[in-house]
Amino acid sequence: MPPDTRTLEMLIAAAAQGDHASFALVYQRTHTHLFGLAMRILGQGQEAEDVLQEAYVSIWKNASGYRSAVDGQTIQAMTWLIAIVRNKALDALRLRARRKESALPEPDALSDDGIPELPGSAAPSPSALQLLEGATQALHIAGCMNALDGSHRQSLALAYYQGLSHTEVATHMGAPLGSVKAWIRRGLDKLKSCLAAQGGLS
Amino acid sequence: MKYTHPALLDHLASAYVLGTLGGGARRRFERLLHDRSDVRMQVALWEARLGQLAVSIPERSPSPRLWSAIEARTRPGPAPAVTGAVAPGLRWLKPAGFGFGCFALGVLALGVLFVSAPALFISSDQLAMRSGEKLPQSYVGLLTDAQGQGKLLVSSLRHGKTLTVKVIGPITPPAGGRLVLWALPASGAALALGAVPSSGTAISVLPDTSEKLLSQVSKLQVTLETDGAPAHPSGTVVFSGNCAKLW
Repeated sequence: MPPDTRTLEMLIAAAAQGDHASFALVYQRTHTHLFGLAMRILGQGQEAEDVLQEAYVSIWKNASGYRSAVDGQTIQAMTWLIAIVRNKALDALRLRARRKESALPEPDALSDDGIPELPGSAAPSPSALQLLEGATQALHIAGCMNALDGSHRQSLALAYYQGLSHTEVATHMGAPLGSVKAWIRRGLDKLKSCLAAQGGLS
Repeated sequence: MKYTHPALLDHLASAYVLGTLGGGARRRFERLLHDRSDVRMQVALWEARLGQLAVSIPERSPSPRLWSAIEARTRPGPAPAVTGAVAPGLRWLKPAGFGFGCFALGVLALGVLFVSAPALFISSDQLAMRSGEKLPQSYVGLLTDAQGQGKLLVSSLRHGKTLTVKVIGPITPPAGGRLVLWALPASGAALALGAVPSSGTAISVLPDTSEKLLSQVSKLQVTLETDGAPAHPSGTVVFSGNCAKLW
């Protein structure tokens, strides 16, 4: 059988009509990327797989909820899938924090960069800041984002790639909570303007 | 807190998507997200911005069992092997069994409705809508091509400022120019309602409520325009249809 040339957007539209084979293709094309994302936030273990399972069931049920354009801006299907997985992973992380009755991660449970150690993984995981640098280079906004102070970028990277809260970022960076909040906010503003300048989302 | 200021909403949407909006503020924002389409749009735009940062995260493979688990929870109907396993002599049972299943489901649904009935009847339109008894007051339009094939479903809440355009039939993206949706009032100038997506569903903000913009509109059409922002329809009419009030 020739490979299916339909775009991810088309496959999601077909899944919304109840076409399970198209949904299977959505899984095939996206699950390693989305599992990487869930594992990044939750670390190795069953939890990331549980989150991914819930996410795909929700994608199947709500496939008709995907909006291909918002206010004239094209929204990639991958963006929508990433948001679903990330939200579920962050919910799981918050639940874990509540169960531990402590919102703060144990200092020794984190590596130097605030990444939960992944037992059994051969290659060391890149740090949050390395991931942010990789992403800004791929998006051609590295120059623009580098105008930000290093601590601003570091705090944004920890919040995005590790799912850390303001308090957790402050603890990890040994910086006052108020400063961290301002840094992250400035980081987000900068990201918005850099992407807009690049011709992306305004 | 007032949620009318666009800059504040943008800030809250960014923190919500990033995940740093916590506790009570997060719950309040989620309520807002449920009720307001403009807030949902802000969130969708932030998801699109922040989603791009995921590009650098290394891919990982979950266990092969994961797909089986997802498949078991999503595959519609009984698995083919199970259906085929019914002995020929017992085939007559199947429709009856199915019928009974439907009946039991109906009884169950009715029971649930009775239990929840007090909650349904004390309230207004909104609860009736949520329970699926009633559609919200909206303007809707169905556009077809020259052969009468359904192509677009257009809808907007009567007092809302958001327009939803859903592609319901395959649309071939035009080689040159773009497809523009127009509202044609009984008298007066046509109003551009925005570009038409080639697949999926698009939402956009209207300059005013649809009650103000569409109350005198009975026809909708899509034209192929070469100009970036045409003031009035000048290209070929590709799709057309009626606009109706859903109340």
